[in-house]
Amino acid sequence: MHNHKTSNIILNNIIMRHITLKFSMVFLLAALSFFTVAQTFQQPVLISSAGQSADVKLVKMLASREKLDANTILMAKPSDLEGIKTLIIVPGFSSKGLGAAGISQEDEMNRVQELVNAANSKEIPIILMHIGGNARRKGQSDAFNALIGNNAKHMIVVAQGNEDNFFTDIASAKNIPLEVVEKISETGAPLGKLFQ
Amino acid sequence: MKKIEVHFTLFILVITGCLSVSIAQDSSVSNNGMVATAHPLASRAAIEMLKSGGNAIDAAVAAAFAIGVVEPDGSGLGGGGGMVIYLKERGESYYINYYARASERGSEAGYSGSKDAQTAKAICVPGTVAGLTMAHEKFGTLSLSKVLEPAIRYASEGFEIDATLAKLILDNIETIMADEATMNIFCEDGFPLMEGDRIVQKELGQTLSVIAKKGRKGFYEGELAESMVRSIADRGGVLTLNDFASYEAQFTTPLYGTYRGYDIVTANAPQSGLCLIEALNILENYDLKNAPHYSESAEVLHLIAETERFVYADRTAYLGDPQVADVPINGLISKEYGTQRFHQINKERLDPPRYRDVEEGDPFPFVKKDLVPVTEEEDLSGEGHTTHLSVIDKEGNCVALTQTLGLFFGSGQTVNGVLFNCAMTNFAYRSKNSINLYKDGKQSRSSILPTIILKEGEPFLITGSPGAARIIATVIEVVINMIDYEMNVTEANLAPRFFVRDSEDFLYLESGIKQQVRVQLEEMGHTLRVYEGIDLFFGGVQMIYINPEDKKYYGSADKRRGGMAIGY
Repeated sequence: MHNHKTSNIILNNIIMRHITLKFSMVFLLAALSFFTVAQTFQQPVLISSAGQSADVKLVKMLASREKLDANTILMAKPSDLEGIKTLIIVPGFSSKGLGAAGISQEDEMNRVQELVNAANSKEIPIILMHIGGNARRKGQSDAFNALIGNNAKHMIVVAQGNEDNFFTDIASAKNIPLEVVEKISETGAPLGKLFQ
Repeated sequence: MKKIEVHFTLFILVITGCLSVSIAQDSSVSNNGMVATAHPLASRAAIEMLKSGGNAIDAAVAAAFAIGVVEPDGSGLGGGGGMVIYLKERGESYYINYYARASERGSEAGYSGSKDAQTAKAICVPGTVAGLTMAHEKFGTLSLSKVLEPAIRYASEGFEIDATLAKLILDNIETIMADEATMNIFCEDGFPLMEGDRIVQKELGQTLSVIAKKGRKGFYEGELAESMVRSIADRGGVLTLNDFASYEAQFTTPLYGTYRGYDIVTANAPQSGLCLIEALNILENYDLKNAPHYSESAEVLHLIAETERFVYADRTAYLGDPQVADVPINGLISKEYGTQRFHQINKERLDPPRYRDVEEGDPFPFVKKDLVPVTEEEDLSGEGHTTHLSVIDKEGNCVALTQTLGLFFGSGQTVNGVLFNCAMTNFAYRSKNSINLYKDGKQSRSSILPTIILKEGEPFLITGSPGAARIIATVIEVVINMIDYEMNVTEANLAPRFFVRDSEDFLYLESGIKQQVRVQLEEMGHTLRVYEGIDLFFGGVQMIYINPEDKKYYGSADKRRGGMAIGY
C-alpha cells in the first residue's frame, strides 16, 4: 500500500513536471513568435513539396479551406514563380513520392535548391509547413527540413515533428516566427491568419 | 563467421542510429517457439496461441488475422496470399494458395490500367479468409474462435498507431481519402491519424466475429457477402455472389529446389517461388562462399544483379496461372537450365546495356514431363502491398506466410470494415501474348514467395518478405547471406540490399553498398539509384533461423518495417 502511494506521488510529480514543461515550451514558443520580425504575406501563393511526400496535398486542402489564392505544383521550377507573392514549401521525404515522380533524392534536392534560390532572388517569402510529425523527421527528411527552414520567413509545424526542438533551434537561429500546433487539422488557422 | 561480420556489425550500429522509424524488438532467441511478424501485436497473438497449447499453424493463422488488423495497409480479409507449411513429424510440406482471383465477370468492371489501380474496378475475389480457415481446419488444434480472439480484440478495442503505419497513412492519404469508409478509419476530422493516435476498427471487429462463429461461410455466403457485392457494385466494381461462394483456396504441393545441400520449399506458381529456385540454381555455379560479400565487391554484386535481371525476364515471359497456361516450371527450376543461364551472364559488364533489353531464356528443352506436376490439387473433398510472417513451434512445425492487398491500402475501398485488394493491377492487359494476360476467373501471377529451407529434414530457415517485385531480389539476397556468407540472422536481415529487373532503368541499392563498389558498378555499365541507410522499399523480411547445433530458434524482424520477433 505504501509502495502504491509512493508510486502515485512519483507519477503525479512526473505528470506535473511534464505539464509545467509543456506550458514553458508553449510560452517560449509564443514569446519567440512575438519577438521575431513580423512578415507580411501576400497572394497569390504557390505550394510545392520538398521531398515529394503526399503531405503537400493536405496543405493544398488546408489552403483551400482558408480560401487562399493558391496553386499547387509538386515539382515546381523557378519559372513557376512568375507572379507569385508567397511560396509555401512542405518538406518531407517519401520514397513512394520520388518513385512516382521518377526522380532520385539528389534530383529532388537540386530542384528544391534551385526553387529556393529563385524565390530568394525574387524576394518571394517562403513559409515552411511541416505537418507530417515523426514520419517526416530524421532519415532522408531532415536535409529537406533544414534547407527549407533555413530559408523560411515563417514556420508552421505539428508538434510531434519538433519534439527534439529541431525547428525551434532553426527559428531561434534565424530569428523567424515558429508556430507549433498539436494536430494537422490545426495548421490551417495560423496559415490563414498570415494572409489577413 | 567471416571477417565480414565486423563490417556488418559497424553497419548495423550506423543504421540503427539513423533509422527514422521506431525499432521494436527485432531479434530473439528461444527453445519452444518463435514468431516473427511485421507488428508486435501480431507476434504476440501468435505467441498467445503457442502458450495456449496451439501449434505453429494455430499461431500463424492467429498472427495472419491479427496482422490484417494492426498492419491494415499491407494485408487483411480483403486480400490474399500464400503459405508454406512444414510438418516436422510427418516430414511433409504443403502449400496453400489463397491469392485473390479475378471475378467471373471481372472484365465488366472496365479496369483500364493504373488510373483505376486504387478504385473498386481493381478488386478481385479475396482469398484470405478461405486460406486461413483452410489451414486451420486441416492442421490447427485450437478452436477458430480462440485463434481469432486477438484480431477481434485489436480491431474492437483499438491499438496505437506505430511509426510505420503513420508514415504509410500519410504517404497514401489520397487513396485513403477517396473512399469515405476508408477515410473514417484512418482519419479524424478529415485529416490523417498520426503516430501515437489510437485506431479503432469496430466494423472489422464485427466481421471477424462473424468469421469466428460461422467460419469460412460467414464471410463468403450470407449477409456479409451480399453487402460486399452490393457496395462494390455501387462503387463501380464487379464481384458476384457466386465469386464469393465458389472461391476455394488451393491446397497443393509446394515447389522444391536445392541449393548447396539445402532443400528449398517454396511457393508454387503463379506465385514466385520458382524465381528463387532458378536464381539459386544460377548462383550455385559460382563459389560465393569464398567470394567477398556483394556489398564489398562490384564483381559479385554485378553477378547477383544480373542473375536477378535474368530471372525477372523469365518470370515475365513464363509465369502465369498454371490452371489456364502452360508454365514450364520444371524447366525453369532445373539445374541444367540454371547453368545455361549462368553462362549467358556477362561477368564483366552490363549486357545487354539497357536493363529492359534483357531476354528470357528457353527453359522448354529442360522441362521433364515425367516429373510430378507441381500444381496438382490434392483430393481432399469435404475439407475444404503485403506482409510476411514466420512461425515455428516446439515440435519443429513451421509456417512461412505472405499475404497482401496488392498496393498499400489495396483498392482503398472498405466495406464491412474490410479493406479490399487491388489484384487486378497484377495482370497484363496490353501485351496480348502475355502468359499473365487478364481473363475472367483467372489468378494473376504474384511476387510473393514464402519459403522454408531444410537441411536433412531439419528446419533451417523460415523466410519471406513483402515489397512488390522487390520480394524476389530481397529473398535471394537474404538466403545467400545466410547460406553462403554464414551471417547470423540479424546480420543477414540488415545487410544492404539491391534490386534490378527487366522493366526498370536503374539498379536500386542501399547506401550500405560501399562507395567504391558503386563507382565500379557504374564503370561496368550500371545506372544506380541509391537509398540512404535502409529503406522499406527493399521489403520487410521476417525470418527464423534454426541453429543445427544448439537447436535454438533465432528470430529476426526487419528494421525496415518495425516488426517484432518473439520467442518463448
